[in-house]
Amino acid sequence: MNLLRLSSVLCLLTSAVLCLQAAPAPVEGFTAVRTLGGISEYTLDANGLQVLVLPEHSAPVVTFMVTYRVGSRNEVTGTTGATHLLEHLMFKGTKNFNREKGNSVDQLLERVGALYNATTWLDRTNYYANLGKAHVEAYVAIEADRMRNLWLREDDRRPEMTVVRNEFEIGENNPIYALDKEINAAAFMAHPYHHSTIGWRSDIEKVSIEKLREFYDTFYWPDNATVSVIGDITTADALALVKKYYAAIPRAPKPIPQVYTEEPAQTGPRRVTVKRAGKLGVVGIAYKTPAARHPDMPALQVLGSILTSGKNSRLFRALTDKNLTTSVSADIGFFHDPSLTTVYASLAPGAQHDEVEKIALAELARVKTDGVTAEEVSSAISQLLAASAYARDGAFAVASNLNEFISSGDWTLYVTLDDGLAKVSADDVKRVANAYFNEDQSTTGWFIPVTTP
Amino acid sequence: MSLLRFSCISCVSWLNTPSSVLRLLSSVTAVLCLLSSAAQAAIADKVTRATVANIDVIAYPTAVKDVVTFRGSLPAGDSLSPDTNLAIATLTGGMLDQGTVTQDKFAIAQKLDAVGATLSFSVDDTMVTFSGKCLRKDVPLLIALLAEQLRTPAFSGEEFAKLKKQIAGRLQRALEQTGFRAGQAFASTIYPPGHPNYAHSTDAFLAALEAATVADLRAFHQKHYGPAELTLVAVGDIDPAALQAEVAKAFAGWSGGTRRLAYEHEFTRLPGSEHTVFMADKPNVSVILGQAVTLRHSAPDALPLRVATTILGSGFTGRLMATVRDQEGLTYGIGARIGNDTFINGDWRIIANFSPELLDKGLASTRRELKFWYDQGVTAEEVARTKTNLAGQFQVGLATTDGLASTILATLHRGYPLSWIDTYPDQLEAVTLDQVNAAIKTHLKPDEFILIKAGTVPTAAK
Repeated sequence: MNLLRLSSVLCLLTSAVLCLQAAPAPVEGFTAVRTLGGISEYTLDANGLQVLVLPEHSAPVVTFMVTYRVGSRNEVTGTTGATHLLEHLMFKGTKNFNREKGNSVDQLLERVGALYNATTWLDRTNYYANLGKAHVEAYVAIEADRMRNLWLREDDRRPEMTVVRNEFEIGENNPIYALDKEINAAAFMAHPYHHSTIGWRSDIEKVSIEKLREFYDTFYWPDNATVSVIGDITTADALALVKKYYAAIPRAPKPIPQVYTEEPAQTGPRRVTVKRAGKLGVVGIAYKTPAARHPDMPALQVLGSILTSGKNSRLFRALTDKNLTTSVSADIGFFHDPSLTTVYASLAPGAQHDEVEKIALAELARVKTDGVTAEEVSSAISQLLAASAYARDGAFAVASNLNEFISSGDWTLYVTLDDGLAKVSADDVKRVANAYFNEDQSTTGWFIPVTTP
Repeated sequence: MSLLRFSCISCVSWLNTPSSVLRLLSSVTAVLCLLSSAAQAAIADKVTRATVANIDVIAYPTAVKDVVTFRGSLPAGDSLSPDTNLAIATLTGGMLDQGTVTQDKFAIAQKLDAVGATLSFSVDDTMVTFSGKCLRKDVPLLIALLAEQLRTPAFSGEEFAKLKKQIAGRLQRALEQTGFRAGQAFASTIYPPGHPNYAHSTDAFLAALEAATVADLRAFHQKHYGPAELTLVAVGDIDPAALQAEVAKAFAGWSGGTRRLAYEHEFTRLPGSEHTVFMADKPNVSVILGQAVTLRHSAPDALPLRVATTILGSGFTGRLMATVRDQEGLTYGIGARIGNDTFINGDWRIIANFSPELLDKGLASTRRELKFWYDQGVTAEEVARTKTNLAGQFQVGLATTDGLASTILATLHRGYPLSWIDTYPDQLEAVTLDQVNAAIKTHLKPDEFILIKAGTVPTAAK
């Protein structure tokens, strides 16, 4: 495998996106920060709003997205799930745009066939639409308006609470999701990654509209947000739109509160067990791994691929190919703060938890002791780079990937991470396995199915 | 995993695929991932279609750089399994990526992984379908592997034994999902045995799985696999002539296969009924309410009924979401759709999720909206809005190589010419209010709807 060749192909493939560097053109009302990989970063002088612009003219479509730097990481006991509930309430209207007037965000965007939605995760909340460029301005107007003018009425919270509670219930139906919640809750004692983004049921039910208002008034400000404009639009036009609709919004009146809680060092292995009705078991083994911005992240991604991606991966051969699991996966946490890398093994009929766990641990130990081969590393890098290339075609795909890098705290990783991946060596993989896959920093979970009549 | 304000209501696959956040795209994202200028062009004019080695090869170059997406199919799906064993088609398709007569599955996977290419096979009611993605330079490799895997699967006894257990395991895991169980119960109720859309019982399938032999698979492969009705669609940075040359080389000398059987389903009217699949510890109940319909996708009334169904149950402004979710807060997700109508008359259904304690209330609201829609029909304003909505969605779907390839293949499966893709917006525009309201009354009989509830249903016997 010729890695250089593949890298150059991918560079060509995404040349407009990835490989250009130049100073952004100055635009009145904005401070030009930098241009990297074709993405120009500006700051709106009026209020500190971060703006990323990537012209991409392959289709007459634009994705406009606003990412607020608030997620379930910013919640505490009593308000878990509030970020997500607030995200739902963001669609209930303002005095300017609402269903009664026939110009709500849903009405506008569905009328023009846009694909739109909002999502909440640990570190961020984002709102986006992918739509014909003729309709972009109307969407920007609504998006900017609801940054500060949301109604936030109790009459809206009440029915939306049960909607969100049903979303919680749908998640609870799934054994792996239920297990994942408990693994995270055990692995993090102090840091708010302890609780899942959906929150605890009682908090979803009982958080007051006043608390949600407090949340909104604390975090929904231009200097706590990033606007991304990607697609068939010039930088000048994109910035003009942003200025027109966002410049009048003031900065946050108080500093945005920062999460200062750090997870204390874990000094011994932890275990959780979830017993519920079901048919097949699951084993999850989680290790503390660093934040997305850490230089070891590329090597961890390669390690995850070597362990579980494809038929030649270590755990597929050791478990799935032996009919001990129906699937294996490695979830490499890519977040603002240190999080977890979790290996999941879904048990096949007849397989025992302890046997599967023992084999999985033996495979991890083998990586730590003997390392991995150059061929494994090369193959993993190829898969990761190709997947990255496949996921970069088109405005919406770019936006949804970029969103995760924005929330990690450094959007430029979107451009530079592939370079890091291409440089990962077998020694790097062995080193990070030894650095992070340690029993004393592990949390192991079993989902044990209980047979019901 | 991140939480969407609303995701596909029957889709829980994201819960089963924990993976790197970095590369994880939501189901919505996946649909959109490859925008190209082809979205606005006349597709039929840009397609190169040729019969190569008796295969229908369709190439559609787009402005996407270096990425090529493949889709294809041949008729060897479950409905073609012999009467003696209903699992043979699934097993045969499952063996395609378990090694060939010249190399084992690990060697094949290594070749694909080394260049970041993907190639997978699946079996549905009617077809074996394949799906692939690679860089432009790797098209010869992908075509060669596709041909080898379709033509000469090894049918190794060892891999066969493993596959049986894997399929049984995956089925067990699916049985834990309320959505799967509801869908299975619905399809086994509204369709008669022998219908391609009929769902066999789990026990029957597991028994067939156990009884199947390698000889059965070889015989099925010999009979049904061949170029007779093999379609290959390639979209992206593709050179049609070069593609045809690779196909000619890789599939040279292959013959046989069968053409899809025309299946005329006699519509069986059933009385309305309710069925509960009780599942312990499932705090969300999956609900399906609907019936079989006498329409195929290509039937004249199908498009007006789709417009009507969109008005009732698509998006946040659809009547069901606007009332049952937004106003009343009774569900996270509810929608209506027509499906399983590609090759044969399909079904119309409402799909919803309800908490057990809100189940009765949610169902009452759903039936109220259904009744109002059925009795009163829809308005001209709703029809107009829905036309622009559907046209916009269709165009956005075509702006990706995945979307284009899937649409081209589906267009052919539905029996349309490729020009249908270009004329769809005009067909949509021509739909009238009267046609929409008439289609509702003509093709649906709500009094005869079948209701399925799967989950921890409060009143069900435990």
